[in-house]
Amino acid sequence: MYKKGGSKVIALYWFVILMIIAGGIFSMVYSFYHYPYDVRELEGEIMINKIADCLSSQGNMSSGLFAEEGFSESYKNNFLNECHINLNVEESWNKEPQYYFEVNFYKSENLENSVFNIPKGNLNLMADCNIQEEKEYKREVKCTEENFFSFHGEDLYLIKILTVIKKTEKNVK
Amino acid sequence: MLNKRAQMSEIMMWIVATIIILSILLIFVYASSLLAQKTKIIKAQDLKINLEEEVNSLDTKTLITYNLASESEKSIIDRWGVENE
Repeated sequence: MYKKGGSKVIALYWFVILMIIAGGIFSMVYSFYHYPYDVRELEGEIMINKIADCLSSQGNMSSGLFAEEGFSESYKNNFLNECHINLNVEESWNKEPQYYFEVNFYKSENLENSVFNIPKGNLNLMADCNIQEEKEYKREVKCTEENFFSFHGEDLYLIKILTVIKKTEKNVK
Repeated sequence: MLNKRAQMSEIMMWIVATIIILSILLIFVYASSLLAQKTKIIKAQDLKINLEEEVNSLDTKTLITYNLASESEKSIIDRWGVENE
């Protein structure tokens, strides 16, 4: 059907096409599996649960949170130890901590203004949290916020917990 | 002359076939990277255990507080819940 030279060209062509298809399949698999799983939102929710469990149990806030006159500043300063939370999880990130969280307490009479707050971690991440709605910054940090109610004696409090996690290198390509 | 024209049309057919194969491959490579971006964001609700209803730990805390609350406090929690739904 083909001349001798023509059949060689066709064989070479098929070989090239096969290589291209194999390369294409390889790049499809690579591009899918090379992309990291983004677990920051899940991590934030786990952190929120851990903080909430430390702050409140069976509908009542932890007694250590309060001093004789209102909230305890020493508990606030020592919050990470009190709740067994370690924000320095990897040495490579010690220069720039990758976590920030903030707990705000609101009295039931005024749910707009916080009466006490506990901020911990890298405060600079909060700025990224505020602009993450804009598309180009969308993947910079992950912010997660949850709320719950709890009692201290007769007083009802709303507690808002916000977590901000960066860790972009590990979760976003 | 006819033979040359036939050869040309055959070559053209192979070129078009190659372009089609390459473009299909490129589309699939692009689609797989898009799919990776969309499906590799893991949220807590993705990890549902085999429960009839999803249980949120903080909602449970609010529910316990709700059960301890007086009627006026219950209304505060209700109102807040409606406003933040």
